[in-house]
Amino acid sequence: MAKKTSKIGRYRIVDELGRGAMGIVYKAEDPNLDRLVALKTIILPEDAEEHGEYRKRFFLEAKAAGKLNHPHIVTTFDCGELDGMAYLAMELLEGIDLRTRMTKQGVTALEAVEIARQVADGLGYAHERGVVHRDVKPGNIMLNGGGKAKIMDFGLARMRMADHKTSTGMVLGTPRYMSPEQISGQPVDQRSDIFSLGIVLYEMLTGTRLYSGENIEQVQHSITQTEHVPPTRVVPGLPAMIDFVVARALKKDPAVRYQDAYELAADLETCLAELRGQGAATEPSGDKSRTVKMEAGKAIDAPPARAIAIDTRLPVSRLIDSTTAVKRIKNASSDELTRLPRRVGLLRRVVRDAAVRRFFVVACFAGFAGFYIALV
Amino acid sequence: MSASLVGSVVFLKIAEFARRTASEQARLRAQLEAVIAVVTAEIDPEGRLVLEAADGAAIVLIDDPRAALRLAQRALTAGAAGLPLTAGINHGALQLSGRKGAEGLTGDGIAVAANIAEFASSSRLLASRAFRDALADAAPGREAALVPAGNFTDAGLRAHEVFSPNNGGLERRRRRYSAASVAVIVAFIGAGFAWRATHESRAPLLSTIIAKYPYVGALVQRVRY
Repeated sequence: MAKKTSKIGRYRIVDELGRGAMGIVYKAEDPNLDRLVALKTIILPEDAEEHGEYRKRFFLEAKAAGKLNHPHIVTTFDCGELDGMAYLAMELLEGIDLRTRMTKQGVTALEAVEIARQVADGLGYAHERGVVHRDVKPGNIMLNGGGKAKIMDFGLARMRMADHKTSTGMVLGTPRYMSPEQISGQPVDQRSDIFSLGIVLYEMLTGTRLYSGENIEQVQHSITQTEHVPPTRVVPGLPAMIDFVVARALKKDPAVRYQDAYELAADLETCLAELRGQGAATEPSGDKSRTVKMEAGKAIDAPPARAIAIDTRLPVSRLIDSTTAVKRIKNASSDELTRLPRRVGLLRRVVRDAAVRRFFVVACFAGFAGFYIALV
Repeated sequence: MSASLVGSVVFLKIAEFARRTASEQARLRAQLEAVIAVVTAEIDPEGRLVLEAADGAAIVLIDDPRAALRLAQRALTAGAAGLPLTAGINHGALQLSGRKGAEGLTGDGIAVAANIAEFASSSRLLASRAFRDALADAAPGREAALVPAGNFTDAGLRAHEVFSPNNGGLERRRRRYSAASVAVIVAFIGAGFAWRATHESRAPLLSTIIAKYPYVGALVQRVRY
């Protein structure tokens, strides 16, 4: 790939758009239709057996993706193979990907929900046709100038089997955006994409990384074991319904997650209406739709995530005031509020338990009477 | 800064919350908040904390386990109209942590209460053994209102002995003690007579009483006729 390519198949290379682990993305011209396309090249493995398998899967996925024609999915026009390299000709979009947008400019809450709604809509369409993305992440969502979001690289995660292998099975996708079932190597379906979109939505809304760690294992542990902090806790002012939508999309158990991306899109539509209402009510300050931006090159961790079970940290309610009790707990001496229940002894029971006390008095009188009868 | 405490945790869980639509979740959550506002109104604000949970809420009562039981029962009654609640009560260790204005509680007290609420069926209240002991400590005898409801093992393979409220439990206990009182009276007096009967040298009790109190003798005569 060192020498400059001028033509791939019938496509004439105009410019290089980017490079990735799988290959290079070019801006190319299709002379037959006289239109510009994005040409994604994928280097096929050299090993003959692997090559055959890879090639077969590539064309299968490309065919499936080629059938998707939706305003929120990047259209695949063509695919082919040339000199050990597979390529995909796709719709060329003017704009930036969501990852770049989040780090450079930030996303307002309104935009975040709108983008997620559009992506959910696109995913719903693909899922209906049996196509699962498997790698929904900000880098795979393109935004054009008009605020339209488009999902890229449908099915390409399958092509990257070598990227993340585990001893238990094949793991496909980008670790930070994987679903728990993807991590454990179980078969994935549309609900896995919903989980990944939930992470993207969370990160857009809060400007923090939801699942992070120093290595893949830490990230995976975090995805499978920890609960997120509700977005309204990180960014006060977001509508409460956002919490429910995000929580449902991020359920660890796919059975209780959104079962359908359209369902998620419908709930996001309701959130949008609420956000627009808030925006209209607070037009001058514009507080409710503040832009959150991820710092470029630096991972901002989400607030400490809550572990399930015994480490579960429940936040003090914002709606019912508990400040008096909090103050009391903070000011209490070390043993004032930490007394454990004692076993109730006989004496305490006689003194404080009415039924036992009555029995005790009766027993005393009866004993005295018996004694009197016997001895007097 | 963190502070430890031991308190009673009432975990109110909206049944099947995760399976509901987001708009329904928002509606049920608002309804639950209204119920909590009502049931906590009578409790001293110094003695209670309300916590948010993903599928419900937890109320921590610092001073009185009796209030926790009352509160849970009231919440279930108040929520009966269209709010599918389950409740779990536990008494255990808790830790307050977090910066000012963003405090939260962790601890076994909450975890067990949440597990028990998960186990309870709709409109049902279950309490842990630790809570029953705390109730006995605070008001000896009141623990009889909680009757054994079985054992269950949670997702973490921890076994819990659970109790459910039963007002008949207190009444049964009262009757049991009354019966025991009668039995004790009969036993002691009977023993007195038996003692007297076995000691032939002594005059019969009635003769002794009549000799001592002549009007008792007259009364006995009148009864005979």
